[in-house]
Amino acid sequence: MISVPVILSVMFLGGVLAWLANRFVPKGASWTAAIIAAFAGYLVFALPSCGGEYTLALGSITLVWKSTNYSALFAMLVAVLGFLGILYSMDFMAGKKNLGYYYMNFLFALGAMLGIVYSQDLVSLFFFWEVMTWSSFMLVIYSGEEKSHKAGIKYFAYSAIGAYLILSAIVILYAQSNSFLLSENVKMFSGMSLGTQIMVISFLALGFGVKSAMMPLHVWAPEAYKESPSGFTAVFSGALSKMGIFGLGLVVFKFAANTEFFVYVRETLAWLGGLTAMLATFYAVIQSDAKKLLAYSSIGQLGYIIVGLALGTPLGIMAALFLTIMHGAFKAMLFMSAGAVYMRTGTTSLDDVSGLITKMPLTFLTALFGIISVAGIPPLGGFISKWMLYQALLETNHYFLIIVIFIASTAAFLYLYRFIFSLFLGQREKEFEHVKEVPWSMLVPMMLLTLFVLVAGVFPGLVLDPIGKAMGYLGNFKASWEPQVVFSAWGEKINMQVIAGTIGTIFILGALFIGFKNRKATRVVSTKDIHTAGEIPTENENLTYAVNFNQPFERAIAPILKWSVDKLFNLLGENLESTFEYLRYVYTGNGQTYAMYVILMVVILILFSGSIFGIHL
Amino acid sequence: MLYYIGAISLILIGMYAVLTKKNLLKIVVGLSIVDSGVNLLFISVGYVKDATAPIFSMPSLTADKMVDPVPQALVLTAIVIGLATTAVALGLVIRLYDHHKTLNINKIRQLKW
Amino acid sequence: MEFSPVLYIAIPLFAAFLIPLLGKVSKTLVKLTPGIVFLYLSYGSILLFPKAMEKPIVQVVAGFKPPFGISLYYGATAAFLITMVTIVGFVIWLYSYKFIIREPIEKYYMLFMMLITGSTGILLTGDMFNMFVFLEITSIAAYSLTAFLRDKDGAEAAFKYLLIGSFSSTFYLLSVMIIYSYTGTLNFADIAGKIDLIPPMAKGFVLVLVLVGMGIEAEMFPLNGWAPDAYSQAPSPVGAVFGGIVVKAGLYAMIRIVFLFFKTPEVMQFLIFMGILTLLIAEMAAMRQHQIKRMLAFSSIGQMGLVIIALGIGTMGSTSAALFQMFNHALIKSLLFFAAGYLVFHSGSKQIEDLEGLGYDKPVTSFFFAVGALAIIGLPPFSGFWSKLLILVSVAKAGDIAILLLILTGSVIEAIYYLRAVVKLYTRKEVPDNVRRTPISGLVAMGILAAIILYVGLYPGVIEKWLAPAANNLLNAADYIKAGLF
Repeated sequence: MISVPVILSVMFLGGVLAWLANRFVPKGASWTAAIIAAFAGYLVFALPSCGGEYTLALGSITLVWKSTNYSALFAMLVAVLGFLGILYSMDFMAGKKNLGYYYMNFLFALGAMLGIVYSQDLVSLFFFWEVMTWSSFMLVIYSGEEKSHKAGIKYFAYSAIGAYLILSAIVILYAQSNSFLLSENVKMFSGMSLGTQIMVISFLALGFGVKSAMMPLHVWAPEAYKESPSGFTAVFSGALSKMGIFGLGLVVFKFAANTEFFVYVRETLAWLGGLTAMLATFYAVIQSDAKKLLAYSSIGQLGYIIVGLALGTPLGIMAALFLTIMHGAFKAMLFMSAGAVYMRTGTTSLDDVSGLITKMPLTFLTALFGIISVAGIPPLGGFISKWMLYQALLETNHYFLIIVIFIASTAAFLYLYRFIFSLFLGQREKEFEHVKEVPWSMLVPMMLLTLFVLVAGVFPGLVLDPIGKAMGYLGNFKASWEPQVVFSAWGEKINMQVIAGTIGTIFILGALFIGFKNRKATRVVSTKDIHTAGEIPTENENLTYAVNFNQPFERAIAPILKWSVDKLFNLLGENLESTFEYLRYVYTGNGQTYAMYVILMVVILILFSGSIFGIHL
Repeated sequence: MLYYIGAISLILIGMYAVLTKKNLLKIVVGLSIVDSGVNLLFISVGYVKDATAPIFSMPSLTADKMVDPVPQALVLTAIVIGLATTAVALGLVIRLYDHHKTLNINKIRQLKW
Repeated sequence: MEFSPVLYIAIPLFAAFLIPLLGKVSKTLVKLTPGIVFLYLSYGSILLFPKAMEKPIVQVVAGFKPPFGISLYYGATAAFLITMVTIVGFVIWLYSYKFIIREPIEKYYMLFMMLITGSTGILLTGDMFNMFVFLEITSIAAYSLTAFLRDKDGAEAAFKYLLIGSFSSTFYLLSVMIIYSYTGTLNFADIAGKIDLIPPMAKGFVLVLVLVGMGIEAEMFPLNGWAPDAYSQAPSPVGAVFGGIVVKAGLYAMIRIVFLFFKTPEVMQFLIFMGILTLLIAEMAAMRQHQIKRMLAFSSIGQMGLVIIALGIGTMGSTSAALFQMFNHALIKSLLFFAAGYLVFHSGSKQIEDLEGLGYDKPVTSFFFAVGALAIIGLPPFSGFWSKLLILVSVAKAGDIAILLLILTGSVIEAIYYLRAVVKLYTRKEVPDNVRRTPISGLVAMGILAAIILYVGLYPGVIEKWLAPAANNLLNAADYIKAGLF
């Protein structure tokens, strides 16, 4: 009998098992973890959606776990990405220290994510939320270096703030409804006072917004993504940050939808999402590190998802959920290919690596499909979601938001091209001559995801089917689709196979044409072959073409980037800490001063006992 | 009433010593004075003028001619405890003097903040 | 023989005087005695605990019926806290077994037993003056233990503790005196019935004196100047004793008196206010500490602030949450002090800076420290999560969102500084080869605590079902009076 607790215990006990395996068998941890993740993944798919209900009474608190259509969608994402991430890690992490620790926390994080989506009560939601936070924190600090620790603390601090906001919303709800059950609270929410409603919704939205890296709460994300091992980053960006989206979905459609200020919630979120998409894209453009670039790109994509959710129309939600799945796939592909490059070259700096296309062709192919999908070019999956998002924006007359989104999508081309150009194209430096393609266990997940992105682009109905059911859970949204067709806002049917066929043909013909025409024109030049106005560049001067790749654009957006929330928050934190520093001087170290405090306390209490205790002396 | 005033002023004198004197020994003396003040105060609570010890075997003794024995018993205990505290305090002062070569409380501030 | 509550006081006291004698015979015997005492007391707890949960056991000492004689009141709250004391005391003994290697060990164990005597006495007694005596026993043993290492800083910390501690006992004694002079009785239950005999002015004095006097023991701001010094300079197991046992007893005394005599909305408001102040200032100070044990001390103060807030809310839910938090804090802070003790021992420095790389060199001890840190922040699946959740729920039920947010601010600060310390442990760094190992008894002690913390975290029901009677016993003054006077 498959039920939620079975899945969860497989994951958590499996985590402990992987840790134990590492102590006794060499390579035991990775194989155990892979098997566990595969088995749990199978269970997730076998679990009937709308089923597997389980109630656990813990003292005065009752926990309820159940699969719904909405949770099934996210659970599948987690299960698939989790399994592929672990598969990828098998060779990526080979030979590193503390593998037991790595896989244990990996499985814990996966289990916690599944726990979140299956939770039908707020306590277990929060419980798993925190488990997810600390297990992913453990993975961010995995490398044990100073930088990763800084990133980890930052990640945890923001997550803690977010989590505690969620917690306060939960207890405020409980104080009103006397129940932790999601369904009960949803039912009673519209009857609560306006103040409570505003507080609960804003706390929950902020809390989930931290995890989904909504601006201005995103500052933890770039460093945390960069520092975590790439096998996990794929899951981190692909699935873990989606938990924020999962929560936002609940907030918007389960809670906010029952209030009178629904439209304001939606508009605020939509604009926050839109700004996130645009600004994050700008930041991505100026990055010179592949993983940081992808991190900002990830923040931007989550911004699109938030926009879609916040629009609240069936098409918007469909776009958001489709992008959720797609982003999970293509961002995992990109992080995995960046990780593959890192594994072979030891760096993810865009300024240093170049020309790996012939050495790592399959990795290149993954990255290529990844960026095509991010950019939203047909026939890959990314196109469908972008298409639907624009439709939804038009449909709801958000013309300004369209402009913002449009700027973001266009600017995205800049960083995407830089990503693929810097790593794979151009001339290869001598030091990368020995580079080889990564082993099969890393290629398989990348190829599988590539295939998925392609299939989802051509047959969007396969993905739209579970999404449609999930939308049924969120509200009575009627979404219509056919397996091979996407609808436009005007009811026109767009057949994806035709588009895919056309584009594919043009692409192949174009490639043949260019290849044939230029077959003799290729000239091999040095990477340093740049005009230097008569000066001889020194050895350590980096003149690779990829350096300062987007400089004109950077200059154009510089005024916007001058305002960094990150710096603002850091300043705030530093100021707070120095305040604390002064505050602790209360403890002067002199026993007499402490005695003086005691006497003062007595005197004050006696003098003011009338006003403090209501007893008049 | 006189006893009360006397006892309370003892307590205040002791506290004054504890709070203002810089010498550890004087602080300990101050603590002792506070202790005595509290004890005296407690005794005076049970005091009845011209009364004597409550010995029930004396038939001439009526209830209003007896002092309250409970505070006396309690104060006895409190004196012993005060003595123990003073002893520990003095022991610590000796230890502090050994380490710091000073009895000035302002100079013994290794642990702070 | 029937196990009677008086044995909780008598046996440790007897052991305390037996230990120096045994020291003449064999050191091993000295080391084993406290363990036997704790095992016997836990056996007693198993016997008495269920009974006390139903109906308080009132034990009359020396044949005088209350209110004239001294009576012991073993109610649900006392039973809960004493069971906690025996558990924590047992693991502290186990930990001390190999940790305290410095002579004179018989004096260490003697003082330790005195401390247990005093603390259980405070929890048990039904007599105000008796409580003063036990308070003093606890305090004098605690001063001496603080200076146990005979170093410069230990003596300084102990002197400060003594200075402030004397104020505590003086104020408490004064309040006893005022109460006695108006009511003519010392029995808690009896006083509670006659509290109206005291004129308002004297009542105000009593309240202030009790709040300040016991507030010192309960580490209320700004009365807690002694605490960071004493915690950080005493040997690590003693730090655990302070955080796990002594402070809890002091807080219990304060709350018992306040709830029995002065349970007015204003006083409760005041408690909440002081709790918040204590929590926030302690957490802020903890964030800027450079010494690990000092950081733990400030965190301990902060946790007490949290407990005081919950007690100040004064509802059934909040009181049981506060008791739960007391239980969790006793266990978790002991675990942290244990782990920190060996980490300091291995690195040879008290500074957090110097802990770098120990996570790889001493994996098990560091692991326990990490578990403790996660648990005290209130992360699931550890026990700290549930008590914090229950406290927050009760605060929200009381309808004060500002308090809720202030508590959570404190929690965020706490999370950050604990994780900084943990992360420091796991910074990769070449550590000079260190042959010293954490002895097995220390590891077992930490293992027991970690296991309990995890177990309670996964099945909070085991503790939770005892909380309601315990909280009821603390809150319901009328029942206390009825039971206390027969």
